[in-house]
Amino acid sequence: MLNDITIGQFFPGNSVIHRMDSRMKIILEIVFVVMLFISQNFWGLGISCAFVIMVYAASGISFRLMLKSIKPLIPIIIFTAVLNLIFVKGNDDPLVSFWIITIYWKGIQTSLFMLLRIIFLIIGMSLLTYTTSPIVLTDALESLFSPLKKIKFPVHELAMMMTIALRFIPTLIEETNKIMMAQKARGAEMDTGGLIKRAKSMIPILIPLFISAFKRANELATAMECRCYKGGEGRTKLRQLKMTRLDFYGAMITLSVLGMVIVDNIAFAA
Amino acid sequence: MNIIEVKDLVFEYKIYNDDGEVTGANRVLDGLDLSVPKGQFLAVLGHNGCGKSTLAKHFNGILAATSGTVTVNGIDASDEDHIFELRQTVGMVFQNPDNQLVATVVEEDVAFALENLGVPPEDIRKRVDVALQLVDMYDYREHSPHQLSGGQKQRIAIAGVLAMKPDCIVLDEPTAMLDPKGRAEVMDTVKLLNEQGVTIVFITHYMDEAVQADRVVVMDYGKIIMDGTPKEIFPQVETLREHSLDVPQATELMYELRKSGLDVPLDAVNEQECAEELLKLPHTQYIPEQEKAAETENDDVPYIAEIKKVTYKYSVGTPFEAVAVDNVSLSIKKGQFVGVIGHTGSGKSTLIQHLDGLLKPTSGEILIAGKNIWEKGYDIRSVRFMAGLVFQYSEYQLFEDTVYKDIAFGPKNMGLSEEEIDRRVREAAKAMGLRDELLERSPFDLSGGQKRRAALAGVIAMKPEILILDEPAAGLDPKGRDKVLDQISEYHKNSGTTILLVSHSMEDIVKYAEKILVMNRGRLFCYEDTDIVFSRTRELKQIGLGIPQISRLSHLLADGGMDIGKDIYTIERAKKRILEITKTNA
Repeated sequence: MLNDITIGQFFPGNSVIHRMDSRMKIILEIVFVVMLFISQNFWGLGISCAFVIMVYAASGISFRLMLKSIKPLIPIIIFTAVLNLIFVKGNDDPLVSFWIITIYWKGIQTSLFMLLRIIFLIIGMSLLTYTTSPIVLTDALESLFSPLKKIKFPVHELAMMMTIALRFIPTLIEETNKIMMAQKARGAEMDTGGLIKRAKSMIPILIPLFISAFKRANELATAMECRCYKGGEGRTKLRQLKMTRLDFYGAMITLSVLGMVIVDNIAFAA
Repeated sequence: MNIIEVKDLVFEYKIYNDDGEVTGANRVLDGLDLSVPKGQFLAVLGHNGCGKSTLAKHFNGILAATSGTVTVNGIDASDEDHIFELRQTVGMVFQNPDNQLVATVVEEDVAFALENLGVPPEDIRKRVDVALQLVDMYDYREHSPHQLSGGQKQRIAIAGVLAMKPDCIVLDEPTAMLDPKGRAEVMDTVKLLNEQGVTIVFITHYMDEAVQADRVVVMDYGKIIMDGTPKEIFPQVETLREHSLDVPQATELMYELRKSGLDVPLDAVNEQECAEELLKLPHTQYIPEQEKAAETENDDVPYIAEIKKVTYKYSVGTPFEAVAVDNVSLSIKKGQFVGVIGHTGSGKSTLIQHLDGLLKPTSGEILIAGKNIWEKGYDIRSVRFMAGLVFQYSEYQLFEDTVYKDIAFGPKNMGLSEEEIDRRVREAAKAMGLRDELLERSPFDLSGGQKRRAALAGVIAMKPEILILDEPAAGLDPKGRDKVLDQISEYHKNSGTTILLVSHSMEDIVKYAEKILVMNRGRLFCYEDTDIVFSRTRELKQIGLGIPQISRLSHLLADGGMDIGKDIYTIERAKKRILEITKTNA
C-alpha cells in the first residue's frame, strides 16, 4: 500500500531540457515564477503560459503527465478560486446575488486569473522535477548555495543528508511494509477503530522501524568512514555540472519572454 | 612479506552503569597474534561474539586497540596522521548490502571514496569504470541500488572499495544475507580479485566458502585457536564442533566412514576430492531395494490447508503487471512438516502469504481447515490466528519493553483472558528454549539467536494450526541455526502443529521435512515426499536450486562408476550405502 508513493518523479530523457545544467534550470524556474506573478493581465499571463507549454513540448514529457501533476492540488486550487469568486468586489452591479453571496464580474476575472496562475506555477515546478533527477537537483542546490559556506552554513552536510534520504526512502518503505505484514500476522489491527486506537496501533510498526533505522544509520556511518569520508572539505565530484551553449540559449529565451511580459505590463498600464 | 601484522592485540570496551560510571570492562580480544602475508586468501571462522568483526575493524583504524599493535604495510594502525592512507590500503565490505551504499546511483556510490579523497573527476571516472568492470556490474552503472539483487548490491559495495585500489579487502560475512545465487556471485568476485593479487580476509559462517581459502583461522575467546590450510583444519571435526562450528558435508562423511573402519583420508574438503578418494576404494555395485510400494497416505488425516488453482498477479492493470503465482493447486495434511524450496522470485513467499490471508488470490481459492477464507462473512483476522506466519529476520518485529509483553502481543490481539495469555506466553517461551529470567528482559538486550526465538515464540503463543516459517535460521551462526531449527522440530513433535519451513538451505530442509514443496517460476514444480523429491536432485539442479553437497558427491560418484543410488541427501544414508558396497567386497 505504500508502494504508490513516488518521490521526485523523474522521467529520464535526452531532450534539450534534460540536457540543460540543473543549476540553470533552477534559476530559470525562479525567473518563470517571477514572470507569473508580475503579469497583471491575461495577455501577460497568456505569454507565460504559452512559454511553459512550449518548454513541455521541447522536453518530450507527455501532456498527460503535465495534467497529472495538478491532480493532488485540485482541492487547494478550487478553494482559492472560490474564495476569490466570492470575496472580490467590483464597482459595477453584481451579476448574481443571493443569501450572503454576491458575485461580481471582477470576481470572476480575478478568480480565473488566480486559477491559471496557480495551475501554471505547479506545472512549471513539476517540469523541473520531471526532467532533473533528484540527485542532480541536490548537486545543483549544493552548488548554488555554496557561497553560504562562508557564513558557516552547512551546505555540504545538508546535501549529503538529502542524498542519504533519497537513497534510503525505498529501503525504508519496503521495510515498513514488511513490519506491517509481520504485525498483521500477529493479529494487529490497523485500519479499524477511532483516531487514538489507530495511533496506538502504529506503535508496533514505528518502534521496530526506528530501531532498524538507527541500526542502519550506525552501519552506514561506519561504512562511510571506511571509505574515507571526512566531510565536505577537499571533496571532488564524479559528475561535474557544466554550463553549455544550451544553457545560454535557454536563459536568453526565458529572459526575452520575461521582457515581453514586462513590456505588456507597461503598455497596458499606460 | 606480511601485509597485516597483529601483535598481542587486546580490545576491551567499558561497561557503564545508569549513572555513567565505569563498572567493568568487557574483553573482546585477548592478546591476539596474526600475520597475513601479501596476496593470501584468509578465511576467519568463529561463532557470533568470538571477536571476528572487532578484529577486522582494527585493520583500518575504525577501532583502536586497548593494547598491542596492528601494523598494515608498515603503517601503525593507531597513527591518526596516516588514517586515510590506511583506509585506502585496507578496504572493508560489510554484511548488510543495503547499509553500506550511500548514493542513489551505482556509479556515484562507487565513486564515493574517491570523491572523499579529492581525486580529480577525470581520474574518478576511469577508476570507477575499471572497478565496475572487475565486479561485472558495468552495465548497471546508472541503476539505482534498490533495483538490484542482494548479490549485485554486495558486488557494488566491493567495487566501491576496489576504486580505492586497496592492497587488501576485508569482508565481514558478506554472504550472510544473500541467497545461494548471490553468494556464488560474491564468492566468484572475491576469488577473481585474489587472483589479481589482492589480499583477502574473509569472515564467514559458511564452511563451503572457507574451504576455498588458502588459509583458515578459527577464533574463540578473543584469540586465534586454530590456524592452517583448509585441509589441516577441517579434518579436526571434533575440535571444530567444540567451538560451535560446522564442517563441510564431504569432510563429515569421510570422518564418519573412517570412524566405521573404512580407510579413507580425512583431508578431502570438497566433493571433488572426496569423490576421487572414494572411487579408489574397491566396491561392488549398489542394488536398489525393490521399489517399496508407495506408502499409502493415511486417508483419515484431514487436510489443514488446500490451495485450489491459485493465481496471484502483482500490479494488475498497470504496465508492471506480473504473475507471481501461476495456477497452483496442492493440499497439505494436518501435522506434516513441509519444506518449501525455490529460488528468489520463484513465488514461494507470495504463496505462503496466501495461507495467512495476507494476500488475496487474483483467482482461485484458499481453504484453511476446510473453509474458504475469502468467502463472504468469513473473518479474515481469524485466519491469522489459525495460520501463524513468521517472516524472515523476524527479530525486526520485536517492539515491547519486555520479552514477555512481546510474546503476549499476539494472544492479546486474540482477546484471550489474562490467565490464558500468561500460560501461553510461558509455554511458547519454553518451547523456544527461552529461560524464564529472559522474559523480563528487554528483547533488544538478547543475543541474535535469542531474539529470533523470542519472535518465533510470539507467533507460537497464538497456537496456530499451521506454523509457516520463512528462513527462520537466516543470518545466524551454525550454533544459533541448529538451536532454532531443533526447537522448531521439537515443537512440531510435541504439539503436532503443521509446519511449513521455507529455506534456501537444502541441508536444513532435508534434515527436518517429510514432504517438500518446490516452486519454480511461479509454478508448482512438485510436492512430494522428501525421498521422492531428492531422488530427482539432478532435475533440481537444472532449475537452478542448490542441492546438498552430499547429493552432488553422489552424482560425481555415479559418474565415476560408483552408483550409490539417486536418493542420497543425508550423510547417514551416503555412509550406509558406501559401507554396504565396500564391505561386501572386503
